[in-house]
Amino acid sequence: MSSTVAEPLPDLVVGEQPLADAEASVSVRALRSRFGEAIRGVRLDAVGTPVVSIDPARVHDALSFLKTDADQAYDLLLDVMGADPGGDLVIQVWYQLWSMENGRMLRLLVLLPRADLSVQSAVDLYPAADWLEREVYDMYGVSFEGHPDLRRILMPENYDEGFPLRKDFPLRGRFTRSEQVRRALNRSTEDVYAREELALAGVLEAEPAAELAADEAGEAEDYLAGEKMVINMGPQHPATHGVLRLVLQLDGETIVRCIPHIGYLHTGFEKTCEYREWNQVVPYTDRMDYLAPMLYNIGYAGAVESLLDVEITPRCQVVRLIMSELNRLLGHLLWLGTGAMDVGATTVFLYTFQERERIYNLHEAYCGGRITTSVTRIGGMVADLPVGWLDACRELVNGLPATLDEAERLLTRNSIFQARLVDVGIIDAEKALEFGLTGPNLRASGIAYDVRKARPYLGYEEYDFDVPVGVVGDAYDRYLVRMEEMRQSIRILQQALDRVPDGPINVQDPAVILPDKSEAMSSIDAMISHFKLVMEGVQVPAGDVWYSIEATKGELGFGLISDGGPKPVRCRFRGPSFVNLAALPYLVEGGLVSDVIAANASIDIVLGEIDR
Amino acid sequence: MADDRKKLPTVNPLGGDVDTGPPASWLITKVDAVVNWSRRNSLWPMPLGTACCAIEMMATAGSKYDIARFGAERFSFSPRQADLMIVAGRVTYKMAPILRRIWDQMPQPKWCISMGACASSGGMFDNYTIVQGIDQIIPVDVYVPGCPPRPESLLYALMMVQEKIKGESLANPVHREESPDSAGKPNLPPEAIELVAQPFGNSTRQNRISGVEGSSAISRPRDRRERLLEHQD
Repeated sequence: MSSTVAEPLPDLVVGEQPLADAEASVSVRALRSRFGEAIRGVRLDAVGTPVVSIDPARVHDALSFLKTDADQAYDLLLDVMGADPGGDLVIQVWYQLWSMENGRMLRLLVLLPRADLSVQSAVDLYPAADWLEREVYDMYGVSFEGHPDLRRILMPENYDEGFPLRKDFPLRGRFTRSEQVRRALNRSTEDVYAREELALAGVLEAEPAAELAADEAGEAEDYLAGEKMVINMGPQHPATHGVLRLVLQLDGETIVRCIPHIGYLHTGFEKTCEYREWNQVVPYTDRMDYLAPMLYNIGYAGAVESLLDVEITPRCQVVRLIMSELNRLLGHLLWLGTGAMDVGATTVFLYTFQERERIYNLHEAYCGGRITTSVTRIGGMVADLPVGWLDACRELVNGLPATLDEAERLLTRNSIFQARLVDVGIIDAEKALEFGLTGPNLRASGIAYDVRKARPYLGYEEYDFDVPVGVVGDAYDRYLVRMEEMRQSIRILQQALDRVPDGPINVQDPAVILPDKSEAMSSIDAMISHFKLVMEGVQVPAGDVWYSIEATKGELGFGLISDGGPKPVRCRFRGPSFVNLAALPYLVEGGLVSDVIAANASIDIVLGEIDR
Repeated sequence: MADDRKKLPTVNPLGGDVDTGPPASWLITKVDAVVNWSRRNSLWPMPLGTACCAIEMMATAGSKYDIARFGAERFSFSPRQADLMIVAGRVTYKMAPILRRIWDQMPQPKWCISMGACASSGGMFDNYTIVQGIDQIIPVDVYVPGCPPRPESLLYALMMVQEKIKGESLANPVHREESPDSAGKPNLPPEAIELVAQPFGNSTRQNRISGVEGSSAISRPRDRRERLLEHQD
């Protein structure tokens, strides 16, 4: 163990964490010995991940060392997250790293003074940092030196109200509503177009002249050979699964370049959540991934519980696990239906929506909502299971394999389906890691990384299930992996439905969970804690955490920072689709126009969590 | 026995009243009846689905709720072949010019359903990026409450649009008037936008200047429809 005494991090909320344990981490010791003075502080976060605060000038060197050093091998950059503690305090940039080989996580923290908000970009090491850094720039105004294309990503290109996630930025924006509407509608076409598009258009203008000259010289035999066309797909398009816009530069039918534009659904979740109490954030979470809403509820509650150091009851754990797997099925069934419809198979859509309606019925029986469920509370669930719910769920689970068989009979060996998917949008394991893919997309490329196995939560380690992996990493592999995942989910559900223990669903902690109504009316203690919880909300101790679960689309991360008050200082949601979508240009460039639809459907995105 | 059988009532299949007035009026009524009957039973929706509501819109098109029963199953993803815009989900300021352009591209006659709390009023997102009700941008015929509304609600809204079409007349083009100058412009004057965009619900605790400090004066916002009507003249 290193004998160096860790200094407290300047300008940073520090929870009560054992510093000696942090120093014991292999990576921390290696960083200490290599970077010495540049390491400003070390500690553990709420789930025990080492956090290393490092000099901004050395962060690129440190990332480079952590990626390339054989003992470290942090090959997956999960997230780059900004945070503003408010006041005159410095702006923070957090890097979340994961090492596949060693199964270790590490968080790097950079503190940037407001006068000099710049840090070296990590895009050359991790291509996944491209969009993640652009988002930090968009929201906090941190400039990443050496980033090839640092411009706004979620807000409009010419947004001039400031950097929304900074604490001095008002929740409703700086201008009046009428001024915001006027500015939005007055945005000229040139402003709406991105710089890249204008560059493409410039190429367009230059080329016909060259062709003409060649034609006059009698050299242009293949007149159309070099002619490029730019087409705009979206944001209102039936096959983009939401308001995604793709600018495609074509050479005939071949795609030369693909530039995704996102942010048409940027809802300001992260900003709005900073103005809500911890329990009030729950309804926001299920509106981010409306295809599998409960996974967000469960992940968020788990993250806050780890900050509070609250352990949920065994019954709650199994109920949450059942809800997780039901929602995995819900999300995958929607992907199956719409994905098949995108390549021309409409029947499957109707079959899967029938099953989804059955799952919705279970949602309704449990919480009253179909999509916007908001089922979790910190320390438990909104209610205990209603009588007969488990039997209804068992019936549904037993009927599901038949529907999957039917869908597979229609698709798997269908020659049209195969012609559209096989060898389309190939990404190999190495590239997939570089782009930061997670979930079924990464597993289809052959890497068996599943958060349920790598860092088990909700007791997943006690269940018997397999992690399917692909071989080629094409759209067809992604289809096969997801189909098998649904069968594994059914397997988990069958085990879990027989394991639901009796007992309370909520923790018996008056500081977290509202007391029983009858108790609140009869006992003074219960009434006081009821009053305090309703008026002040759950008090979460100061600290921070990176907590992740396996959502339908990949690793869903929650980066929370608390200063001990009733509201979060920072609520970061790492929507897996955001990072997965950044790989789309790699998947489609060089392919045909029709492959864009198939590739886009195969990576399974949901714009709600991409734009947040 | 055959004489006991009651005579079946005569029904006009087109739904219009058989007018006994002057012949010219009778003819206009008849054309209206035919036109409105065909229009309302073959609405082609333009689904502008952005978020959660779009999933419920898809569920409405699924086999359980089956929007085809109302003749509106032909979702038209091109605005030029659509006559009913269903805005399902939150609309951001970045999306606003696109929404306006799609609406301008739709040929007359056209109607609009604002599906869900976000499209109708901004919903739970009273922040820097969400338009506080699409009626600031385009005219709306039916607002559907809910977050998201159930498929039954959307079907009911569709029936309300059909009811509205029933009362329209070719001789009265008032509600079809659209100036080319209005293309790309807000639907409401600035003061009306300020009025309808005042904070709703739990956001009354914040004020516009800081967004953090609680405002002591909690004014109960007047009814949205009432405010809109004030600015209709």
